[in-house]
Amino acid sequence: MGSTHSMENDKIILGDTEVLKTDLLTLNMGPQHPATHGVLRVEIKTDSEVVVEATPHLGYLHRCMEKHCEHLDYRGVIPFVDRLDYLAAMNMEMGYVLAVEKMLGTEVPKRAWYVRTIVLELQRIASHLMYFGTYAIDLGAFSPFLYAFQDRENILRLFEEISGARLLYNYIWIGGVWNDLNDEQLARIKKFLGEWEENFKKYNALVGENKIFIGRTANVGVYTKEHVEDYGLTGPVLRGSGIKWDLRKDRTYGIYDQLEFNVPVGEGLKGQLGDCWDRYFVRMQEMNESIKIIRQCLDGIEEGPVMAKVSKIIKLPEGEIYTRTECPRGELGIHIISDGGKTPYRLKVKSPCFTHVSSLPAIAPGMMIADLVASIGSIDIVLGEVDR
Amino acid sequence: MKDCLKTSGLNMLNSIDKRVVELLNANLPEAKAVLKEVTVGHGSVTVSAEKILEVCQFLKQHEELKLRTLQVITGTDYPTVSEIEITYVLCSLEKNHELLLKVRVPRSKDVSDLNALPKVPSVVSVYAAANFQERECYDMLGVNFTGHPDLRRILCAEGWEGHPLRKDYVPAEKYLDMVINPAHKVNTEDHFFGKKLKEQMDNPKLVSWSWKDDSETTEESAGE
Repeated sequence: MGSTHSMENDKIILGDTEVLKTDLLTLNMGPQHPATHGVLRVEIKTDSEVVVEATPHLGYLHRCMEKHCEHLDYRGVIPFVDRLDYLAAMNMEMGYVLAVEKMLGTEVPKRAWYVRTIVLELQRIASHLMYFGTYAIDLGAFSPFLYAFQDRENILRLFEEISGARLLYNYIWIGGVWNDLNDEQLARIKKFLGEWEENFKKYNALVGENKIFIGRTANVGVYTKEHVEDYGLTGPVLRGSGIKWDLRKDRTYGIYDQLEFNVPVGEGLKGQLGDCWDRYFVRMQEMNESIKIIRQCLDGIEEGPVMAKVSKIIKLPEGEIYTRTECPRGELGIHIISDGGKTPYRLKVKSPCFTHVSSLPAIAPGMMIADLVASIGSIDIVLGEVDR
Repeated sequence: MKDCLKTSGLNMLNSIDKRVVELLNANLPEAKAVLKEVTVGHGSVTVSAEKILEVCQFLKQHEELKLRTLQVITGTDYPTVSEIEITYVLCSLEKNHELLLKVRVPRSKDVSDLNALPKVPSVVSVYAAANFQERECYDMLGVNFTGHPDLRRILCAEGWEGHPLRKDYVPAEKYLDMVINPAHKVNTEDHFFGKKLKEQMDNPKLVSWSWKDDSETTEESAGE
């Protein structure tokens, strides 16, 4: 499976031979399908095993969070942004809080920024581990999922301790963080980092270098640079296509400019540049970079307050702001329009997954059905964020 | 390093708004580009709605700007001035800048028909990303993007009535024989959680909450 099928001039080519065209069959993948990572429905027209057309249908998890936020004060919005990408809630909070802080001009204490960076990068690792585990399941391997959850559990336990919740934290607040990390917790993070290298080697050998895995992912679901620009793809999908672009470096925020880390990009090591394997490679390397960042934060963290003084009732000055932050799944854009009142006049969330789903119809034609599953898994969507 | 990190002021560094207006006025005077400068947050460029397609083509192909990706299309409803504002966020990966491009169209009260909705030319032919974004904007705010290949609802269900992000939106009572927000499923106890807590506490000043309807609605009006 995988490498050589294509559609040329309305003919279906598998390997070197042209396949006989048959009548088109319409199939519904989802909304309840184990390989759709939530409630995504993809309507596919197939010619035997080959996808001719794919149409995503969204909205099964639509809660109109943007409308809710128009009735909440600026602090009350934070639990709602948590529920967008529930696998990376910390990063969602950060995007929103950064937008509000920029409008207010809040001075956030240095220790708060260190704590924030530590939890953000831990969350990135947890989110990528989730990708690693579920992607292996998509491709038919079950044990990587269990390995990934062992490590993820360490991170979630820590988050539960500092915020009281395992997934939806409400931890990063306007002006700092809710709760400080104590020395014991910092030591525990250090211990987790120490175990990482060995685990990473194990995971990568188990999945990344696996012959079946390479066969299923190399040359499958290729995003070219044109796709990236046309569809506005971001995050690991963009970097998988060989473009060096990371908002933490190129549009730095917080203390990321004082930390040293690389931006891994896809190199086309196992097949064409921008295929599913490259995206896997980028995410795995990104976890290593996150480990590097957390190490530097643990060395640099100093005593001090973790909350700035913020007035009890927050009123943003009249105007608007669009902030972009790097989330595990791509670029989160928060657009706030304020009329000077206690609640946002309009809050718009630019979701990276929504953009990624919109690119599916472009790459799907000519794929085998099983490759479509591999492609959907490799763009790593969370439907809470797509549907908002 | 300072003890505190100020998070404001980052946006102003490479704002290209002024340059965009200069270029647009020189090359596309009929687009009537207007600059909005601000001291806090983002400034924006407003152009005339009929010319949005030409403006996007120009900005995408311009060698200096290279605004090749469309990030998002959002809309905002302003019932007081009877207008809907649509914002296009354009970005350039090479040049590392972004632009908030805006158009304003008169708002229509009647949303029953596609022809009655405010019209904006679709930019799908320029940016492929606009396909889903324009569908969302149509779904949420009721804007007719003329020339869109497949203008359907995207987040709300097919056949849903109204456009939720309009400020005067009232949900329909029924959708396909199903009651929307049935009374027995609404937890009215929670509506007055803060109020009750305030009555119980010795020091009512310690109680605060983040939702706004508690202090403003009475128990009678909440049931409506």
